[in-house]
Amino acid sequence: MGLSAQKRVRTIVSYFILLFWAFILLFPMYWVVITSFKNAIDMSIKATYLPFIDFQPGVHAWRYLFVDRLTWFLDPFMNSVLIAFISSTIALLIGSCAGYALARFDYGGRNNSIVLGFMSQRMFPGALFILAFLVMFRELGLLDTRLSLIIVYSSGAIPFIVWVMRDFFEGLPIEIEESAMIDGANRLGVLFRIAMPLAAPGLVAVFVLSLIGAWNEYLVALTLTFREAITIPLFMTMQVSQTGYTEWWNMSAISLVSVIPVVAAGMALEKYITGGLTFGALKG
Amino acid sequence: MATEPRIFSTKRSRFEIRDNLWKWIFLLPAVAIILILLAIPVLWTLYAAFTDLHLYRIGDFETQFVGLANFEKLLSNRSFWRTVRNTVVFMLGVVPAQLIIGLTVALALNNITRGQKLFRTWFLMPLMVSPVVVSFIVGRMLFQEDIGPINDILRNMGFEGVPWLTSPTWAMVALMAIDVWQWSSFMILMLLAALKGVPPDLHEAARVDGANQLQGFWRITVPLIMPITMTALLIRIIDAFKVVEIIMVLTGGGPGQATESVTLAIYRTGVKGGDLAFGSSQAYFLLLVLMIFGGAYLVMTRRAMGKD
Repeated sequence: MGLSAQKRVRTIVSYFILLFWAFILLFPMYWVVITSFKNAIDMSIKATYLPFIDFQPGVHAWRYLFVDRLTWFLDPFMNSVLIAFISSTIALLIGSCAGYALARFDYGGRNNSIVLGFMSQRMFPGALFILAFLVMFRELGLLDTRLSLIIVYSSGAIPFIVWVMRDFFEGLPIEIEESAMIDGANRLGVLFRIAMPLAAPGLVAVFVLSLIGAWNEYLVALTLTFREAITIPLFMTMQVSQTGYTEWWNMSAISLVSVIPVVAAGMALEKYITGGLTFGALKG
Repeated sequence: MATEPRIFSTKRSRFEIRDNLWKWIFLLPAVAIILILLAIPVLWTLYAAFTDLHLYRIGDFETQFVGLANFEKLLSNRSFWRTVRNTVVFMLGVVPAQLIIGLTVALALNNITRGQKLFRTWFLMPLMVSPVVVSFIVGRMLFQEDIGPINDILRNMGFEGVPWLTSPTWAMVALMAIDVWQWSSFMILMLLAALKGVPPDLHEAARVDGANQLQGFWRITVPLIMPITMTALLIRIIDAFKVVEIIMVLTGGGPGQATESVTLAIYRTGVKGGDLAFGSSQAYFLLLVLMIFGGAYLVMTRRAMGKD
């Protein structure tokens, strides 16, 4: 076999593998979309696959969610939005300042150790935190408040942001910052007017990733909230425990509403997000 | 990213002395928050593990120190060891599968030019979806035993339907499938980034020297992608040991105790049951296991950082 024929075979095999895995990822998403348009009759006897052929799609699940029960769904949705945005903003501000400091200042030659100290958070199990948080927030009278989740999620995102942003700032040319300081700017001005705008791609990536983390978190929310401050994942499992697994179409519609915003944001910012996700392991 | 030269301390600002105040204002909030919200729980849990602390008795009873009683109870608790075994089985199932899928798909991606960005973007999708939703969609709906599509397809092909959620073995397989569906993408993206760091002229040189494709892969690609692969594996091992959310949604640890993970056991003991003391000793056991892999992970990361 010639070299070019060999290459062609490799390309065909590659596309086959990629399409196969893409299909594996697609099928569940396709299934949840069509299920959200199914009626009870379409799911009572056998599986149905194709709208208009296997079954007649209807919008009753969507009407149920957005018309009949909108208020009931809106509270957890707003909780999720508020908690995710506020905690990510706090984490971004505090984490990127620390990342900048670790990129530009010398802490007695221990900068790497400080960053590793932050990263050691990864090995601590969530199971350990929920026990302590339950007692801590109970003592503070903060159980079932948005504040409790905002505090936990901010602190959870900071180490990752410090880590990624430190590297990002280190990669920026220092000369611009120096000449601004010669012109009389102070460090705060340099950080917010020069370094931060230049680091915008990194900031976007870590912000969106911490948004997604907060939006999807379940274990801590399950431990600390139960009525007023519940987030979407918790709301979903509560629905299931009330109705059992019978109203598949409603659950599918809720799933889609909870998934579409973050998946759309993540995929639109693919370049930055992949950079943020695979960061750190890729240096050296 | 991998080939970019790192900027070392020589490039730090010569305005450093002037900035002594900012240096601390920028760093201290992050350090303080992490110390408070990491160190306090870690130390408090250690304390709780040596007491008889119970959620429903806080304030009513004097908390007693019980020495190693909780850890002795842990060692003889068969139900707990069952959850340890389940967690290890889960980890041993998902991590190799994700490595194989990750490497295969990453090699395929690295092999093509047209449509690479499209595939990469699509492969990012599962990482954005919450474990609760993944477990609901992939687990509850696809693996549904009567009208779920997987059993339906199997039956149409002439096989028996599989008792996905009622058989202890198959329930574990279903959970593994969910995790593989979601997290293979992480391996794909990490390994693709690693493969992109392999200079193509190295392969050219090897071919000129008479090495075939396979030799080139084993002698050039594998050693070069090894550090990132190890780091990605360690991250996935640590996360697999922490598995809980997909289990809560899919099986609740059942049937029986067949799919209960360590974290689920801790949640049930400490949060649901209120036995903070025993839950804390279980959490410390998990922490000690994770510290082995976490330590290795930190060593890998430290090595990648270069000199300070």
